[in-house]
Amino acid sequence: MEEPRIGVYVCWCGTNISKMVDVEAVTNEVKTLPNVVLAKNYKYMCSDPGQELIIKDIRLHNLNRIVVAACSPRIHELTFRTACEKAGINPYLFEMANIREQDSWVHTDRSEATTKAIDLVIAAIRRVKYHEPLQKRFVDVNSATLIIGGGISGMTAALEIANAGKQVYLIEKSDHLGGQVKKFDLTFPHLSSAQQMIMPIVQKVRTHPYIKVFLETEISEVTGYIGNFKTVVNANSHGQTELEFGNIIAAVGLKPFDPSAIMEYNYKEFPDVITSFEFEEKLLSGKLLTVYGKEPRNVAIIHCVGSRNKIYHEYCSRVCCMAALKYVHQVRAALPDANIFEIYADMRAYGKGHEEFYALTTHKQITFLMFDQQKKLPVINHADRSDNCNMIIEMDELLSGLSIEVPVDMVILMVNMEAQEDVKQVVRAIGVSLCGSQFFIEKHPKLDPVATTTGGVYIVGTCQGPKDIPDSVAQARAAAARILATIAQGSVTMEVTTAVVNELLCCGCQTCISVCPYKAISFDENKNASVVNEVLCKGCGTCGAACPAGAIVSKHFTDLQILSEIEGIMSMSYKAN
Amino acid sequence: MPAEQTNPKPKLKLAIYWGSACGGCCVSVLDTHETLLDIVAAADPVFWPIALDIKYKDVEQMPDKSIDLTLFNGAVRNSENKHIAQLLRQKTKILVAYGSCAYMGGIPGLANFFGKEDIFNRAYIESESTNNPDHVFPATKYTVKEGVLEIPEFFNDVLPLNKVVDVDYYIPGCPPQSERLIEVFTAIVSGAELPPPGSVVGANDKTNCEECKRKKSDNKTIDRFYRPWEIQDDKETCFLEQGVICMGPATRGGCGVRCVEGNSPCRGCYGPPPGSEDPGAKMMSAIGTMINADKPEEIDKIIESIVDPAGLFYRFSLPGSILGRKVL
Repeated sequence: MEEPRIGVYVCWCGTNISKMVDVEAVTNEVKTLPNVVLAKNYKYMCSDPGQELIIKDIRLHNLNRIVVAACSPRIHELTFRTACEKAGINPYLFEMANIREQDSWVHTDRSEATTKAIDLVIAAIRRVKYHEPLQKRFVDVNSATLIIGGGISGMTAALEIANAGKQVYLIEKSDHLGGQVKKFDLTFPHLSSAQQMIMPIVQKVRTHPYIKVFLETEISEVTGYIGNFKTVVNANSHGQTELEFGNIIAAVGLKPFDPSAIMEYNYKEFPDVITSFEFEEKLLSGKLLTVYGKEPRNVAIIHCVGSRNKIYHEYCSRVCCMAALKYVHQVRAALPDANIFEIYADMRAYGKGHEEFYALTTHKQITFLMFDQQKKLPVINHADRSDNCNMIIEMDELLSGLSIEVPVDMVILMVNMEAQEDVKQVVRAIGVSLCGSQFFIEKHPKLDPVATTTGGVYIVGTCQGPKDIPDSVAQARAAAARILATIAQGSVTMEVTTAVVNELLCCGCQTCISVCPYKAISFDENKNASVVNEVLCKGCGTCGAACPAGAIVSKHFTDLQILSEIEGIMSMSYKAN
Repeated sequence: MPAEQTNPKPKLKLAIYWGSACGGCCVSVLDTHETLLDIVAAADPVFWPIALDIKYKDVEQMPDKSIDLTLFNGAVRNSENKHIAQLLRQKTKILVAYGSCAYMGGIPGLANFFGKEDIFNRAYIESESTNNPDHVFPATKYTVKEGVLEIPEFFNDVLPLNKVVDVDYYIPGCPPQSERLIEVFTAIVSGAELPPPGSVVGANDKTNCEECKRKKSDNKTIDRFYRPWEIQDDKETCFLEQGVICMGPATRGGCGVRCVEGNSPCRGCYGPPPGSEDPGAKMMSAIGTMINADKPEEIDKIIESIVDPAGLFYRFSLPGSILGRKVL
């Protein structure tokens, strides 16, 4: 190893750091440490002059290691790494000490905060000594995309990518395209036809020269990694086909909740208690009749069926409130004299035009009745012969405080949306994770909502969480844009801080293999050693921690680097004692 | 006592000393059987308390660096061990920490889970066979009619040899396999080029699984830990995969996997492979990934089935590990 020549820079961050940390004292304390060639402080290290200071010093003093004590590395690590690169040293020969978020911002005693800053900077100095230069790697991207699910999300993404002239393989497990939207009559809040919207999209997808549709096809196993995936599909229409693609979009959607489990609603017993999806079928058939062939005089719409309830699903399905209001309009148009009861637990009208739609609905001569989802669900019972209706809903009406009976001939249950039965199969095939509610987990809930922690795998539409059509479409187009960007680039940068197996130390115990969340480790029988596929590796470090022989090294997080950092943190306390 | 310099290869001067040890390391030298004759043909033992009647003062009178090779076994437990370690360092060209105790603290090093006070209370007051109503503890100096009696001072910590003096080489094992000793000794006698000072010799770089013949797979999920006598060992599957903690994957090979060959899990006496400073931590970290549970209470339940985890994972290595001792 060349002799480390370390430059240390302490940032004031205006007054953000300098108010609570004596930056001058920190600079003086560390400048005489072994291998430290110089230590400076400056008002804003991230500014152009701040970066220029580092670049000049690297050239002038032949520095080969840089420590910047400033804010969180999440904010400016890249800034300083780039500065190092500009000055001609490897960007990984840099270490950042966070003396703002982890120090000046969270302390009130200037002398203690200063001591802590010194500890953190010494730790970074001790660590950076053992940093090794790491090289960026790239892999080529196959320009084809696999999309799983032929609903509105999958089809939208498919068209977006195919219209850019890139191949799409769209696989759909049912025998037709269109997903849930194809089952709807009208959409909210504009009451426009779902069919007129979805059918032209289906048509475009089916005839698009760059989209190959596989119906009645399920995904089994996908191998490979970002840019270079492979799978074999068995489709009736195409036989067995091997597909190669660079990116994957999961758009597998959700399915309606089965309300049979809710005793109060007697869904199995009463044929005129139907789900919202069954009601859509009636709307599409144009006949709003009870099983007795009569027009219902009393229609109740019950909200939150299976939603926002700890026994069934804790989450809100987001679309049912507006769908229920949509039904008010449709029932009123078809049955001008019917009594309509909106039996709701909470009215959620958060979307664009939704509150206005709610206001409009209140003018449709309907009765809103509220129940307490946590205390008591409404109960659907047989009506007596003397009652002029088929069923009676008994409920505690929350706003009036009265226990009331509601006469009904038809009840529409606004059922929750829940995960598909085969979701785990998809999860295994493409390597994404599920949250507790069985929705796919995005890479970052706010900043990266369509990517996943597996490179090249995106999630769009309701499989990521219940959502309406515009949100699904927005996600589909977002994922398509991300994918087209990597295709345009032609290659993607791979994780640099991967794990590597030292074959001279690996004893072949195979402890590491099953701990890898990315299936990046395999066992080489001939070498009697584990092998990390560095393209699949995300550098999470799990295998390095698991390896009992210390044979797996997580680059940039070696035992030596981490232990030196810890020794650095502790060194001042030792001195004090 | 200069020997006649007729032989181009003069006989080496050999010292073997035991610090805080059980005697097993000295026996391992005798376990070289008839090869011992070759050893004494090549080297004169000049100091070996178990076999020769040579006093400390005789050693003190030897010229500095006059001993070619010292095998120091046992940990440093008291002031006598420390004094002799320093003395031998001064008199010796190549000082070898011989065996687990000198290397990392070994079995006596488990005392670092306690302090001197705990140990004295246990040994001189609480132990079932002790009758000491006046609570008399050993004192380093005691005056009697005839004069002052002195005994060594018992340290609070057990130390590996390298915490007291510079060590040239380490030969691990409890005890080291005699074949390994012969190899190292032969290399020294033959004048072969020796590895850089500070190296572990007489052992492999790879850990024991490399040589272990048991069937291994990636299916290391453990629902419950067993002590060896609690299960019917199938004699062919990796011990860990049967729920028995085997230190093999975290322990240097070189012993010939004798324990496992004898259907007993590796206990870790050969210490960690190069680059691993804390085999106990490495093994616990590995075991953590094998526990087949997600909920904290299930995990706790499985961990409870590990009897004496500290003693198990640090059986031979506590004083020489990053941990060093229990903080009292």
